[in-house]
This record gives sequence, structure tokens and C-alpha cells, in this order.
Amino acid sequence: MTAGRVQEPEREIIFMKKYIQTSGEIGDFSTLPVWQKYAIADLVYVAYGLLIVALVVVSYVAGMFAWLPYDPQQINMDAMMAPPLSEGYLLGSDFMGRDILSRLIMGIQAYFLPGLLAVSISLSGGVVLGILSGYRGGRVETIITYFTNLVDSFPRLVLILLVVAAFKPDIYYIMVVMGITGIPTVATAIANKIRFLAQKNFIEAAIALGLRTRVIIVKHILWYNCRALLIIHATIGMGEAILLETSLSYLGFGVQEPVSSWGNMVQSGANYFLQGNFWPSTAPALAIMFTILGFNLLGDGLNNILEDRREK
Amino acid sequence: MRYIPLKALILTLLKELGLAFLLLLGVSFVVFAILYAAPGDQFNVLLEGQLPTEEARAGIREAIGTAQTWYGQYSSWLLNVLSGNFGTSVRTGLPVAAELLNVSLNTLYLTLGSMAVTLLIAVPIALYSSVRGHSVVISWPLTMLGYVISALPVFWLAYIAIYISIHSFDFFPLASMSESQGGNAWLYTLVPVLVLGLGSGTISEVIRNLREEMTRVMAEDYLRTARAKGASVWRHAFKEGLLLPVTEIIASKIPFMLGGAVIVEQIFNWPGMGRMAWQAAQDRDFPVIMGIALVAAAFVRAGSLLQRMVCTAVNPQQARD
Amino acid sequence: MKQLSVIFVLALSLSGFAAGVSQAADVRKTARPTGGALNYGEYGRPATLDPITSNEMISMRISELLFNGLVGINERQDVVPELAQSWDASKDGRVYTFNLRKDVTWHPKNGEAGLPFTANDVVFTYNIMMHPKTITPLKVRFEFIEKAEKLDDYTVRFTLKRPVLNALAKFSFKIIPKHGPKNSLYLTREDSFVQQPIGTGPYMLNNITADREIVMVANEKYFKGRPNIDQFVTKPFADQNILTQALTFNAIDMIVLVNPRSIAEIQGDKRFILQPYNALSYSFFGYNLRNPLLNDKRVRQAFGHALNRQEMLSSFFNNQGTIISGPFAPGSWAYNLDVQPLSYDPKKAIALLNEAGFKQGPDGVMQKGGKKLELTLMVPIEKESEAVKRVVLAFQNYLKNVGVTVKVEFKEWQAWKEDVFADHRFDIVFASWVFDDSADISSLFHSAEIGPWKNNFVAYSNPGVDSLIVESKLTLDHEKRRTINRKLHALLADEAPYTFLWTLTNYSAYHKKVQHVAIHPYKFFSFADEWYIPVSAQKK
Repeated sequence: MTAGRVQEPEREIIFMKKYIQTSGEIGDFSTLPVWQKYAIADLVYVAYGLLIVALVVVSYVAGMFAWLPYDPQQINMDAMMAPPLSEGYLLGSDFMGRDILSRLIMGIQAYFLPGLLAVSISLSGGVVLGILSGYRGGRVETIITYFTNLVDSFPRLVLILLVVAAFKPDIYYIMVVMGITGIPTVATAIANKIRFLAQKNFIEAAIALGLRTRVIIVKHILWYNCRALLIIHATIGMGEAILLETSLSYLGFGVQEPVSSWGNMVQSGANYFLQGNFWPSTAPALAIMFTILGFNLLGDGLNNILEDRREK
Repeated sequence: MRYIPLKALILTLLKELGLAFLLLLGVSFVVFAILYAAPGDQFNVLLEGQLPTEEARAGIREAIGTAQTWYGQYSSWLLNVLSGNFGTSVRTGLPVAAELLNVSLNTLYLTLGSMAVTLLIAVPIALYSSVRGHSVVISWPLTMLGYVISALPVFWLAYIAIYISIHSFDFFPLASMSESQGGNAWLYTLVPVLVLGLGSGTISEVIRNLREEMTRVMAEDYLRTARAKGASVWRHAFKEGLLLPVTEIIASKIPFMLGGAVIVEQIFNWPGMGRMAWQAAQDRDFPVIMGIALVAAAFVRAGSLLQRMVCTAVNPQQARD
Repeated sequence: MKQLSVIFVLALSLSGFAAGVSQAADVRKTARPTGGALNYGEYGRPATLDPITSNEMISMRISELLFNGLVGINERQDVVPELAQSWDASKDGRVYTFNLRKDVTWHPKNGEAGLPFTANDVVFTYNIMMHPKTITPLKVRFEFIEKAEKLDDYTVRFTLKRPVLNALAKFSFKIIPKHGPKNSLYLTREDSFVQQPIGTGPYMLNNITADREIVMVANEKYFKGRPNIDQFVTKPFADQNILTQALTFNAIDMIVLVNPRSIAEIQGDKRFILQPYNALSYSFFGYNLRNPLLNDKRVRQAFGHALNRQEMLSSFFNNQGTIISGPFAPGSWAYNLDVQPLSYDPKKAIALLNEAGFKQGPDGVMQKGGKKLELTLMVPIEKESEAVKRVVLAFQNYLKNVGVTVKVEFKEWQAWKEDVFADHRFDIVFASWVFDDSADISSLFHSAEIGPWKNNFVAYSNPGVDSLIVESKLTLDHEKRRTINRKLHALLADEAPYTFLWTLTNYSAYHKKVQHVAIHPYKFFSFADEWYIPVSAQKK
């Protein structure tokens, strides 16, 4: 429990969401070793999350240099829908006889950069709007609130469906729209954080100390107070990017063949699900599940650690 | 606690309604802009099955009487909507308003039902883990289960649900099959509602938010004091830690549920707005898309209105600031 | 699979398919029980229910139940009387006079008795169909008619602009009542008639549920006698996997078109009958001849040799189809059996490409003058159809083996049509055409049909083909036409503006309780009034 922990924030902040407790105030130097300082669960979460992130990065690199068991595009019409561990395929083959494992590894390519793009749009847009709205207030705030409310009023999937159907099913189109629709949550969270800090006279104090505005915003507000929040949104965003592409794949507007994505793999495999052929969709579905779980737990764990919210 | 802040409530209501109006205007304009900027012709669906000449296209435009300029199209649509006329579907020729009323009620039912499922699962888990802390036996596995389920693709989950209900319960869970089943019709709607409630990807977030809020509220000094003294703290904890966050979650998750409904409605043959949206997006059925966008946005605003009203009712002072 | 049904007709002159009758046809009509209901599943919802504005297959099948034409087509593909009981054609083949039945009434509306069907309705239908403000795919088909006149209440005369082969069969278009549409000049989808149609057919529209299930009930006064089955219900589905499950779970009794991947599953189930019918359409890869790389016929022939069509047909479609070598229906009079489909011969493909000046580069890709043979294949997106995906992926793979790089680009249907037909922004397309009933291919390969929104989207231009097409169209001598068409077939196979693939066999699946099922390959429900369900199986 840090000294500066605030126990009773103002009401308004409670309604707006999340992770509002302040932390990281200057002067918080704990000398305890990591495993005592933080809850074991959080450390496990982070470890698992980092493992997944590492796997994703390794897969990405492997895909980039084509270090794969098979060529993911190589079709084999003599061994279509082969079950796992048969015909030399570790996870079996898909409806074109292509190696599912190789396609899984390659499938990361579909999300890696587009997902990062979506997340960076959400975060950078959210940070800018959040700071403008929280720090400046007034008319700027009104306009930004209108914008965030407007974006929030669209069901995201319907909006993206409209865009891809009208223009073209391109993962970057999907991710740009997804990034934009992610802005409001981040912006609102940051604006609330700033408002909260202002109420605690944190900003006044910083100004009194003679700090420049830029330093206050970047270092003291964003770095010390918003990093946990940003990490949470980044991890959730990466997970959502995958699920969203999967949904669009079902509707026919996700990543298109022959490029593999986990979404189009689940979709093409699921066509055989009700016939009792479970495995071609299960492998990618589990990949999605473990990865998103990893991202979410990483976010949870890091949040708790950075916020220093140790179980007492 | 008998004091009801009527004045504050009305004020909030009016403010929200005004905002909602402006937002709906914005939504319709954004959707219109996307449709207008998109390549292709909104009447293509009529010309399916023939290869039209330019004259044929001009002929359609004349027959249907669409303005050429973008502002002409938008303003005529807007004026019609303001007078209650949503136009007719390009594809079917049916009046959009009547169609929407039908399907949006179905979707509303699906969405609210799923929301209830999500909350019924998430709230106890979150409550338990915030009151008792992380317990390895109950709350941790449940939380993990929630996380796992919400990390699965919703249509895959739907296929699993259908497979299980066919093979284990000898039961085909399509809503459209319910008529022939007489009194048990509602049973058939249960599976889609469950699937969307579990699989819309929101359970993990709801658990997380609620747990945070509850833990924070429970840790407040005066609450701890009150508890130490043996007083009941439930009323306060309920309002602050449950009611407010829950309404907030309902408000913020409606768009997600509506998105998930697009998928679930396709699979379960649910006659709702999501299915209509998918069809309309492919047909560029301009009046239908605009109508759906408006209704969807209205749902979202209604959720937000509910949340603001609850906030105001709980904390009238707040509303005055 | 989505078809370019530009030639929105059925192949009459086909002999290669049978409208299969699954049960012994010797059961006399009187012996057939009435009653029961047939719920059939469709993938998608019908847009409109009238025969004029409807432009997709689901609506067309429904209008087959609700309406009749002047003439019909029987199971042996002969033209038979329907609303017209007899007809005369003038010697020069330009005037057709139809004597109408006097015992036909329109479906009753709002409890009132049905009005009688007269010549006015026929003239009305023709006029409304041809009105410039009516948007209908039928218009193009009937431009050969100059005018329609009523001679008396039960006699109609059609005058043609020029004599046309098989003209009689074209009078199978469906007749709508004069008192139907609100607007008596032209029909738009805003007219309530398109959703509440009134016909003369064996079934009449009862209601449309909130789910857009279409409930049709037997027309007691049907002029051919009351249909056997009491009720037809169209159930729209949005997911093909669920559609199949609905059948196996007895939630529906019939699927009009079974997805190829579900065939094995239904085949193994003794409760159901899988009935084949010809798709009356063919699939092909079309090459954009505007691209200089593809303008050399040796390159196109090389592609044909690179493909193993037999392997694709057996791996992806359970061998249910016929490989073709030209644009005519196999088994029809126009088809030239002497022309063999290009053999699968990758070595020959490479040799042809070399001959055309392409050399394999260091990366294995063919190039000529530093330009790589890289092409874009445009494919329309179809939700959850892996059949299309499979064919194009296999195509990509086959061509890779001979050093040709194919980039597959999937596009949404409307956007695809814009690209292919308006902007011609493609190198190769994968698509399918419906066979024309009189084997008329002028709109596909005549050079006058090159241009935006015209059918010759590959820009194929060959004066020899042009003159043969014109000649074939003008002649009324069947034998002469046959010779011309055989020549055309050989020419097109050699020139290879398309790589012709196959015509597929479609499957309908239904519960075996439904008996005496005969299926029209294109309109599907033409003989549905004779289907029946035994009394013992009528109960749910």
C-alpha cells in the first residue's frame, strides 16, 4: 500500500471506468524482491502472457523467413482434410490439403502488423483526444465528447461490415476502422484520469514546481499514471483484433484465401464441424483462445503490478 | 432514502435526449458518407440477372426518383425520416419502418437476453472474488472459465452449442422452428441467447470491471469502519459497487452485443436486425442500412440514457455539476 | 454458386439430362392422396415473389409454384399447353396466335372469388414487362416480340420482329393478372403486388411470417386439378451447414440445392433421397484479351493444358459433372463431341509458353523481355462456399507448376461485377454462365458485344467467329445451324478465350415420404402439383 493511495475519489470518476486508482507517485521506492512485492497470481499471469507474446513474435519471425514444416500454400489434393498426426501433418490438413500447423504459424502475419496498427490508432488517438479533453476542457471537451459518443454509437461489427462490403475486404481497412472505434474508450479513460489528478491538485503542484506542460503531460501524466491503462487497452485491443477478423471471416469478409488467418481457418474448418469433423477448426480456435487469454492475462497482471495492487 | 431527485432526473433526461438527437444525426451522416463514397451503384441489386446499359441505370434513377447530388440525397432522406418515413427497401420494396420494427424487437430480445446471461455469470464471479479475494477453488477457476469462453470465436461456440443440443438433447435450437413446437417456443430461443451471452467476448471484461469496482468500494475507509462496527454495508456497496458499474456495463456493451448478434442471427436463423444488416450491406440497400444504423444507435443511446438516469438517481449532486 | 444469369433461360434443346422421376410413374393421379405439408429450405431469402421483378433463383422457384405461362415444358422437355390450350404459328414464323383456356381463375383475394383469366391479362403482362420503367431481366429475352394484341377475350396474337428458332418455348413466361399491380403501366418493387402476388398456379400465397417464411397453400380451383400436397413452406436459412442439419433433423423436408460438402453426409442417410439435376450452367476461366500477355492464344492454350480438370472434378465435386470443351451444353445438338477438352499436360503447357516466347526465369517464373507472367484472378466472394475457393486455389497451384504466378483476389459480388464488366480490371476471372436455350452465344463472343456492361467482357474479337454467329442466328434451318455451331465450338475451343471447365450436377435432397418427385433442372417446381405425401407419412 503506497502512501499516496487515494481512498475516496469523487463520484463522477467512479461512473467512468476502470483502473482509476492513482499510483506511481514520485518517491515510491520499494526495496522488496519482486516475488514478495507482487501477488504470485499476477506474476504467473504476466509470465504466461509474455510466453504467448514471445510465441507470437517467434511465429511472426518464423513466418517471415518461412521456417515452417511445410509451405502453407502448398495444396495436396490427395490428402485433403487429413486428421492430425497423419500423412505427415502434425495438426492435420485443411480442405485443400494444406498443412494446418504451417498455416497457423503463418496466420500470425495476418494480425501482427494490422493489429499493432489498430492498437496504435486507438492509443494515439485516445491519448491525444483524452489529453485535449482532460487538460483543456471547455469547448474542446464538448466536441471530443460528442465525437467519442458518436463512435460509441455504432455497433463496431456492423460498421466494419459496411465498410468492407462497400469498399473491399482488406485487413488494413478492417483494422483502421477498428482502431478508430477503439479511440473513445482510451480517450475517456485518460481524460478521467487527468481530471482526477487535477482534483488531487497533482497538476497544480507540478506547475508550481515549475515543470513545463509537455513534461507534465508526457512524463507525469502519461508515463507515471496512464501506463497501466494503456497496456490494458493495448492487450485487449490485440485480442479484439483477432476475434473481430474471425467474425468477419464467418461473414465472408475477413482475410481472403489463399492468405491464412486464424479466422478464415476456423471458418473453413467449421463447415465440417456439424458433420462431426472437429479438428480442422479446433486447432485455430484454440490458438485464438490461448492467445487472447495470454493477452488478457498479461494486461491484468501488468495492471496489478504497475498499479501495485497487491493482495493484502 | 425516500428522496427522489425528480428535477435532476428530468434535467438529465432532457440533456441526454438532446444529445441523442445530435448523435443520431451524426450517425446517419457518417453511414451516408460511407455509402456515398463507396464505388458501385446502390441499384445494382435490382439489375442482378441482367447487364444494364447506362440508359437502364439512368432509367432506374428516374423511376425511383433519386436526387443526383449527395446533399440532395441526404437531405431528402433526412426530411423523410423526420416525417416518419424511412423509405422502402431497394431489394424487397417493403417499407423499412415496418420491417425494422419487426426485426429490431427480435434483436432487442436477443441482445437483452444475452446481456442478462453475461451478467448472471459475471456478477456472481466478480462479487465472490471481490469479497473473498482470489480463491483457488472457486473464483479463480470460474474467472478463468469466463476468460476462456470469451476468447473463443462466437460462431464456433454456436456450432458447438448446436452440435451438443442435437446430439445430446435431441433438440434443434432454431428460433424459426419454434412455431411448430407450441408452448415450448421460448426454449428454442434459449440456445442463441446463451451463445451470444457467453461468446460475445465481453464476459472477461465485465468480470474484470466489476471486480475492480467492487474491490475498490469494499476497501473504502468508511465502509471498512462500518463493517468493523458490524453495520450492514450492503446498501452502499450495492449502489456503488454493483448498480452503477452494472448499468455502465450494460450501456457500454450494447454495441458489442449488437455486433455479435449479426453472427448469432445468421447461424440460428434468428429473424433480426443483424441478419438484415448483413444482407443490406451486400446489396448496398441504402434505406435499410440507414434505418438499421439509426435503430442500432438508438439502442446504444437508450442504454446510455439508462445509465445516466441511474447515476442521477443515486447521486443527484453529481448531475448538477 | 452465383451465376451470371444474363441469359436467364432454360436449355430446352438439351437431351443429356433427365428430369428424374424417383418413384414409379404408373401411380395414377387419382390414387395419389392429398394432404400433408412440404417445408423446403433455401439458402437466403427471396427478394420479391412476382415473376417479373424477381431476379434470383429463390424467387424464381417460388413464382413457379404461384404462376403459369402460356405454354409449359413437360418432363420430356416438350412444349405443352398450359394457359393456352392451343396455338397457331404463321408460315413465315412471325405471328403466333394463342387460344386461351376458359376455365382458369386467378387466386381469390381478400375472400372474394377469383376473377377469370382472359386475354387482357396476357397483353397486360407483356406490356408491363416491356415498359421502360419496369426493371426486369426478362426484357432482353423478349425484344424479338414486336407486339401483343388481344383478338377476343380468349385469343391473343403475338407478332415477332423476326422469326426465331424455338420461339414457342419462350412463351413460357409467367402471366400476371391485370388487377394485380396497383400501377397498371409498369411494375416496381414498391408495388405491393411483388410481395402479395396473385397467380393462377397450383399454389397460392397464404402468408409470409415475420421470419419471411413463405406459406403457400393448395389452389383448390387449379385448372389442372388440385395439387396433392396441401401446403408448401419456404424456409430461408442464412447458414448452409445449419440448412443441412435442419434436413437431417427433420426440421425441413427438402433442400433445393445441396452444398457439395454435405452430399456424403446425406447420402449415408437412408431417410433421404438425393436427386440429381443438371445445373444448366458451365464454369470457366475467362482471360482478359486486353492484356498483351494473354492475347497470344498459345498462352491461353498452355493454361488449359496446365489444368487437371478431372482431378478437380473428382476431388471437389465427387465427380458429379461433365467436363466440357466449348460453350454448349454437352448432349445438346449444338455440342461438338469431336472437340476434346484440352488434355492435362504440363510439359506441353511449358512448351507452348516457350513457343510464345516465355522463358523460365531464375525464380521459376516464366518471363518474356523481362516481364514476368504474373496475372490477377478475380473471384467473387461467396460466404462459406469452399467449392469456389478450392477451384481457384487449385488453378493457382496448377499454373504455379508451369511457372505462371497467379494472384487471387476475392471481391464482394457487386464490386467484382464492376471490376469485370465495367472497368475490365482483371486478367482472369472464374465464373459461370447459364446455357442459352437456343445455343445462342452471340452476346458472349461477338465483337459487337465488347464494351462496358456487355457480356463479351474478355474482349474476344474474331471476324470468323462473328460471321458464324450472325449466320447461326439468322438461319432457320436446324441442320445448318447445327453445322455452324459445331464449327463455332471447334473454333472457340482452339482459340480458348475461356478455359471451359465443366457443367455440374446439382443435387436436391428430400425426405423419402415425398413421392413422385420430378424436378425441372432450372425452374425446379414445374411439376410440384403432382408430388404427393402418403397419408401415413402426413402426420408430423
